[in-house]
Amino acid sequence: MFDRLRFVPIRLLQSIPVVFGVTVVVFFMVHLLPGNPALVLLGQSATPERVAALNDQLGLNEPLWDQYLTFLGNLFQLDLGQSITYQRPVTELVASAVPITLSLLAYALVLSLAISIPLAALAASAPGRVRDAAVRAFTLLGQGMPQFWVGIMLILLLGVKARAFPVGGYGQTPAEHLYYLFLPALTLAIAMSPTTIRSLRASTINVLGSDYVGTARSKGAAGIPLFRQHVLRNAAIPTVSIIGVNLGYLVGGSLVIEKVFAVPGLGSLMVNAIFARDFPTIQAVALVVALFVVVVGILTDVVYTAVDPRVDLASQERA
Amino acid sequence: MTRTTRTRYAAVVAVAAVALSACGGGSSSSSAGGDSSEPVQGGDLTIARAADAISMDKTTTFDNNSIYVMQQMMQPLFTVSDDGSEVQPLLATGYEVSDDQLTYTITLRDDVSFTNGDPMTAEDVKFSLDENTATGSDGWGFVNAAIDTVSVVDDQTVTVALKYPWAPLIADLSIFANGIIPADYDGQTAEQFYEAPVGTGPFVWDEWQRGQYLKLTANPDYWGDAGPYLDSVTWTVVPDANTRKLQLQGGQIDIDDTPDWSSFESLSSTPGVTATAFPSTRMDYIAFNQQVEPFSDVHVRRAIAFAIDRESMVDAVLYGNGEAANSLLSPGTPYYDESVEGPTFDLDEARAEMAQSSVPDGFSTSLLIASGDPNQASVAQIMQSQLAELGIDMEIRQLEPTANKQARLASDFDMTISAWTMDIPDPDQWTSFAVDPEGGSHSAFTYWDDQAVIDLNQQAQREIDSDARQDLYTQIQEQAGESAFLAYLYYSPYAYAMTESVQGFQVTPLGNYPLAEVYKTP
Amino acid sequence: MTTTPAPPGVEVTETEAEVGTTPGSPPVDTARPVRSRTLKPWYRNGTLVVGLVITGALILIAVFAPLLAPYDPLQQNLQQALQDPSSAHWLGTDKYGRDVLSRLIWGARVDLRIGFLAVLIPFVVGTVVGALAGYFGGWFDTVVMRVVDVFFAFPFYVLVIVLVFVLGAGESSIYLAIAAVSWVAYAKIMRGELLVAKKQDYVVAARLGGMSHGRILLKHIAPNVMSQALIYAMSDIVMDIMAIVTLGYLGLGIAPPTAEWGSMILDGQEFITTQWLQATIPGLAVVVTSLGLSLLGDGLSDHLSPERRK
Repeated sequence: MFDRLRFVPIRLLQSIPVVFGVTVVVFFMVHLLPGNPALVLLGQSATPERVAALNDQLGLNEPLWDQYLTFLGNLFQLDLGQSITYQRPVTELVASAVPITLSLLAYALVLSLAISIPLAALAASAPGRVRDAAVRAFTLLGQGMPQFWVGIMLILLLGVKARAFPVGGYGQTPAEHLYYLFLPALTLAIAMSPTTIRSLRASTINVLGSDYVGTARSKGAAGIPLFRQHVLRNAAIPTVSIIGVNLGYLVGGSLVIEKVFAVPGLGSLMVNAIFARDFPTIQAVALVVALFVVVVGILTDVVYTAVDPRVDLASQERA
Repeated sequence: MTRTTRTRYAAVVAVAAVALSACGGGSSSSSAGGDSSEPVQGGDLTIARAADAISMDKTTTFDNNSIYVMQQMMQPLFTVSDDGSEVQPLLATGYEVSDDQLTYTITLRDDVSFTNGDPMTAEDVKFSLDENTATGSDGWGFVNAAIDTVSVVDDQTVTVALKYPWAPLIADLSIFANGIIPADYDGQTAEQFYEAPVGTGPFVWDEWQRGQYLKLTANPDYWGDAGPYLDSVTWTVVPDANTRKLQLQGGQIDIDDTPDWSSFESLSSTPGVTATAFPSTRMDYIAFNQQVEPFSDVHVRRAIAFAIDRESMVDAVLYGNGEAANSLLSPGTPYYDESVEGPTFDLDEARAEMAQSSVPDGFSTSLLIASGDPNQASVAQIMQSQLAELGIDMEIRQLEPTANKQARLASDFDMTISAWTMDIPDPDQWTSFAVDPEGGSHSAFTYWDDQAVIDLNQQAQREIDSDARQDLYTQIQEQAGESAFLAYLYYSPYAYAMTESVQGFQVTPLGNYPLAEVYKTP
Repeated sequence: MTTTPAPPGVEVTETEAEVGTTPGSPPVDTARPVRSRTLKPWYRNGTLVVGLVITGALILIAVFAPLLAPYDPLQQNLQQALQDPSSAHWLGTDKYGRDVLSRLIWGARVDLRIGFLAVLIPFVVGTVVGALAGYFGGWFDTVVMRVVDVFFAFPFYVLVIVLVFVLGAGESSIYLAIAAVSWVAYAKIMRGELLVAKKQDYVVAARLGGMSHGRILLKHIAPNVMSQALIYAMSDIVMDIMAIVTLGYLGLGIAPPTAEWGSMILDGQEFITTQWLQATIPGLAVVVTSLGLSLLGDGLSDHLSPERRK
């Protein structure tokens, strides 16, 4: 088993240049943004002279290359710098936003599985029939809806018309968090479900046709118990990697969704930082997101290896 | 001999402005408070607004959401009256001006303590004013540019020596940036101090979850006669206006800061909810870049100024909650003159001006707006179709807000939309920015340069007599209107919606809302 | 959806190129009724036909917008703002009194045009780079794949939005931003395809027969591997339209007053509690468009590479 996880350190090593590349791209891209933090900080009384003076004080008139080296040097000491807007360590800001975004994503993942597993089972139980076509229609529609629009529609239906859920914010207690995050999580779940359903459906059909399910059936297993005990685990294997990839995409989706639902997570932090030209904060969030995508990628493969004894990524890496 | 102006309470500002400013906002329904019931002690007031505060450092923060919070904790020597027309003593009891107008002697209240228990003294005042002055152009220090030195006379007296006669001084001292804090930051560094600032105000620092909420609790030993009645105040961050509206209707919050004008009407008709438009000092305008042709031609500028149908903009953008602008100054600003006639909508007049101009057959130009701002997009689209009547082909150029500011500061635009809101109850802050190229902004980035108006503005800075000042500011308003260096659009009030249980909530034209006397009925 | 979860084509490559040797790994991309396994003429392929009809109809609407729209989409009438649907204005009017139906029709022009044009550059760049990387391997492959990884480590939207910030709002910025971001998906797909294709007997035979790399790539490999990129392009158009609409929603899209679905949703959101149609209708237009293109993509994938499905 451990032998088969040898690919993990290799993948970690390979991700170093990726993360490094991300810092380069982000750093230079954000400094290409027109405008600077002083413009934002000085408000309506900004004049060119005062903007220049404040930028100078903030060290933003140094050559870009020097600024990058400073950034990189600090990064090695795990120092993400000081937020220009809030005048506080960026680590602090990121640390308070990360749990919110992570719980939103986890929530969305749970909801999307709650949607996907029954629908995929339904579709796979009668391929080509009406219910299969209905599920397929759902996936096609789900794929074709802009996420922010789904959010607005959920606000309209469940928030404004039905008054069932709060339409924004995060709440203050864990119970409130669950309640407040329901609509944004559902929005992300709807975005995530179509590919999960498609993958799960296809693999379920595959597994249902396999010998051991035939054997189980001949021993009298049927219905939901059969599905749960014999089919789901095997059918889930390819879906794991799809979910892994999707999670990476969803981080980006949460950016817009957090805006629609006023969730104070990484997305909101990022958007506000971009508007304020708070360079250290933008860099930190981009870095965290990139790390998240890389780690999820590796974890996906670990889970994959764990659930499917046939996979040997370690030998593949060597090949 | 010193001219003893016996402790002049609040006489700083022309009385003429008082009556005028009362008609500031549009459909201001009766203010939220106002009934004669006894104040109720206790309760938490929750105010939801679009963005979080940024910092509590009063000397370097330009963000209103921060300022409105810090004002509950740190108080200046003087403050603006509810209608914005006068400056009244707050921590001071009064002041005297020397004959040469270069020395102000200010007496302080003797019954004021900081929330750390220490009494407020002249040492604290000197420290606080010097602290702000020292920030220079990196902070609000520029407001104190006329101050030479601040000296302690005794515990209850300070003198402020000026470099030159400066009429707006007392108004300047009423700005939050000149708020009084304990000397030497109460033994801390500036950074430590502003993490949890200490002042003399009715509320004290509690906690701040950035991006989520900021909370202050009542100061039980507040020096003032009335209040605070509330136990605490919480500001929550709710970027979306629809969400704030629904939260207000659902009772999740008490006050909705800046509801959309589109929902203002429906909010005021919601049972249990009051929607109030408080007069402001905000003036929205179009700036013409005179470095770009044909905008150096006064006839072109006047033609456009005449061609804008301000009433329909007020209807479409503010849903009728505002007024067409007639002057460089807003009704909530001292020395505003109602009788000044800035160009108003008159298509015939506009055509006549076009005919006299260098481009009688029209021209192509562009209007720079900030993306994501629905009001600017509305103004731009309405203006576009109105200028078409003059043969002017106006393209709308959108830049993301910060890039938009960058372009404005670099004068990289033909025309642009902007707005000004006063920070101090004196017109000078705005007029010096707008009409004097020396103000650092090339006359609000228009490159307008009219020596006669510049001279008038400099005279007004030094004129201490309020009638004479009124006369000077009236002339400035007239000449600025004639030159149409800006095309004034409209005055928009501050929109607030609150539950009916909120009593005594008042917003001054400067935008701040003292919460000491606010209470909630059960 | 905003960040379209892994587009179908990418999944195939993910599973095949990275974990692809998994025995019994089922096809994961297109859930298509199992019945239609046999190759049929295109017109008997229901999915393809429905997709073609919807997409074709939308393209016709876009092309003939000036004839179809009842009003000028830019004509304001402030006295008739925010009207409910009526016989004069089937979908009502917006806050400037402009006819919503006309703006919807003209919006199809903008959104479809940008959607279709925006795939061209990334399609060409991505397939060429990916094909070269896959075919030749070596250091070029390594470098390309690391760059691809860097891009994949960014959420699509973060990159596009920041790029549009840098370049300034407007149509050309949208093309550039999308091109800069989405070529990597094509590169990844093509590389995966090439890794498989170059081991095929006919390629090996051609190589042994002394054929040049260029000729092999163009004559033998390209026709066989392009189909995956083409199928992906269909879902990529959907992604691009989502991106344009999202940019419009964020106020970073096409400058007003041009009619565009995303900015129509943005304008309508203000009236969600009073005039909910304003935000709903343009969203539905996006859904129908994506549905047509997705069906077209699925149909094409059935038609072009049925052997991939079981």
